[in-house]
Amino acid sequence: MKPSRLLITAGFMIVGALNVIAGDVKIIGNVSVKADSISTGELKSVFLLQRRTLKDGSAVVPVLEKSGATHEAFLRQYLDRGSEEIHTYYQGLVFTGKGLMPKELNSDTEVVAYVARTRGAIGYVSGGASTEGVKVLVVSDGRGAERTLLTRVEPEYPETLQRLQIGGVVRLAVTISPKGAVENVALLGGNPILAEAATKAVKQWVYAPGPSQTTIEVTMPFESHR
Amino acid sequence: MHRRIVGWVLLCLWAGQMSRAQEFKVWNRTVQVHGFASQGFVYTDKNNWLTMNTSQGSGAMTDMGLNMSAQLTDRFRVGAQVYDRNLGQLGQWHPSLDWAAGDYRFTNWFGIRAGKVKTSLGLYNDSQDLDFLHVFALLPPSVYPTDLRDTTIAHAGGDLYGNVPLRHQLGDLSYTAYAGHRSDSIYSGYPYLLTQWKVYFHNLGGLQYGGDLRWSTPVKGLLMGASRMNEETTGQGQFVDSFNPSAGLVPYQVSTTTSWTNQFYGEYVVQRLRIDAEYRRKAFGQPYGGNSSVNDDVRGWYVAGSYRIVRKVQVGTYYSHYTLTNVIVGPMRAVSPDQIDTSLPQNHIYDKVISARIDLNRFWNVKIEGHFMDGYAAGPYPNGFYPQVNPNGFTPNTNALILKTGFHF
Repeated sequence: MKPSRLLITAGFMIVGALNVIAGDVKIIGNVSVKADSISTGELKSVFLLQRRTLKDGSAVVPVLEKSGATHEAFLRQYLDRGSEEIHTYYQGLVFTGKGLMPKELNSDTEVVAYVARTRGAIGYVSGGASTEGVKVLVVSDGRGAERTLLTRVEPEYPETLQRLQIGGVVRLAVTISPKGAVENVALLGGNPILAEAATKAVKQWVYAPGPSQTTIEVTMPFESHR
Repeated sequence: MHRRIVGWVLLCLWAGQMSRAQEFKVWNRTVQVHGFASQGFVYTDKNNWLTMNTSQGSGAMTDMGLNMSAQLTDRFRVGAQVYDRNLGQLGQWHPSLDWAAGDYRFTNWFGIRAGKVKTSLGLYNDSQDLDFLHVFALLPPSVYPTDLRDTTIAHAGGDLYGNVPLRHQLGDLSYTAYAGHRSDSIYSGYPYLLTQWKVYFHNLGGLQYGGDLRWSTPVKGLLMGASRMNEETTGQGQFVDSFNPSAGLVPYQVSTTTSWTNQFYGEYVVQRLRIDAEYRRKAFGQPYGGNSSVNDDVRGWYVAGSYRIVRKVQVGTYYSHYTLTNVIVGPMRAVSPDQIDTSLPQNHIYDKVISARIDLNRFWNVKIEGHFMDGYAAGPYPNGFYPQVNPNGFTPNTNALILKTGFHF
């Protein structure tokens, strides 16, 4: 394989320092939601019905799962409440005339389908759920912590795609341990074959140590026309 | 009693079915329908309480509500709720429009509600009727006296409200500023108290304005806040002049010279534990005749804790501290001594409470609660104990048992 013909442009854009969602919960949004990431504070405010737009002006409406491990994990991590407590909270708004009960659905599949067809919808699904038709939002801690890249390995452009002049941009959520090792790489968007190449490379990256586990979003363009 | 229990079971089963059909469409807009009801039984060993004949055991503790709401546009929501209750001599099954408002949210930090709106005052003023939201069968009476709910519950007017995130990870602030007209039911505690002096109100209420500011702190689960409410209350009715009883019922009018309430509160929720604490001070005065005025100073605070043992079972306890002082200003002071000694049982209620709540399902709960009360505070302003239902006078201490069940959908 001849990696020399790879033209990976200016490289890698770190969109921001982002704190990852717990193991198995992904935040998803309708494609009308302009933002690619959402802070934990925004996420909490949206699901507590205290705000209806994100910082970038995107109007959003939350959708929840009725029960289950993903539901519990989301509530504990982002809303600091259990399912009974959040239900009570919503009822308090409904019965005092200060809000409506948000949409509650039975499964990841239902949530993805609803978010895909509902303008401004934001929901959550398990890490393994298919997210076709929706965008996956990365959750930041809002603190803007940065991690310095020490060792970078370039991806190999798959020969077949290169020959066919198929390129594109791959977006990855990269989880970095406090010691600087890449612990996990999740695909946010892009051609799956290019993503595989990008993931293989990024897993070899090494960052400077940081105060806590961090997730950053990496955007990696593959240019086919050169 | 047996028929009533059977009726409640059937009602709860019906509510379970209703819960699956609480939405419908009108002009392509989803309308949500929700409702609730609760039924209590109260037994006291000494004084009769809350205008019921509780020393014999009383089930005259019922309330219910039904609401409909719809989101008409991204920013505009409308809704209304009717509420009805019967608590001993109070309420008497006269339904009221609990709230009915339009709500337009311009931005995250600014919105307007207009119509009849629930008043934001402390942690639970606007939700005090909603039994299913709380672990306790009765919220701490020092701050949320159920017999006086009308004096703070809602206003016909408007709210300005919003939520503002703070910089530097300092949490966020939620604010509400409001103004409107408050209308008390003539079947509430204060009008009932005055019937002992043969005063019968036709209407009671007036201007109510104030604000609430609450801070969701950076400490996970910690909320702190403060509220202020001002009121200008007038009432019209009839009374029998004790100096001239042969004249029969003659017109009566009363108005406050001053009336304000300050409330400070904190809430801490960590996993299954919830701790609340609030302090409320209400001061008000009214003309007393002979160029005099009577000034009442009501102070209450409580500390409450609750814990969810398992998913369907919660336990809780609180201490509720209530004092009342009464001072006459002017010439009439010579014939009406001050009541400022809060150590006397007629000027305080110290209530220790233990409670348990079991959720039979998502819509139906049962509560059992014990109150151990020192004092009865049966002065010129009521808080649970009324001379009319205690014609032989009061004893200093009262223990109470409350059994309550409620459902909602």
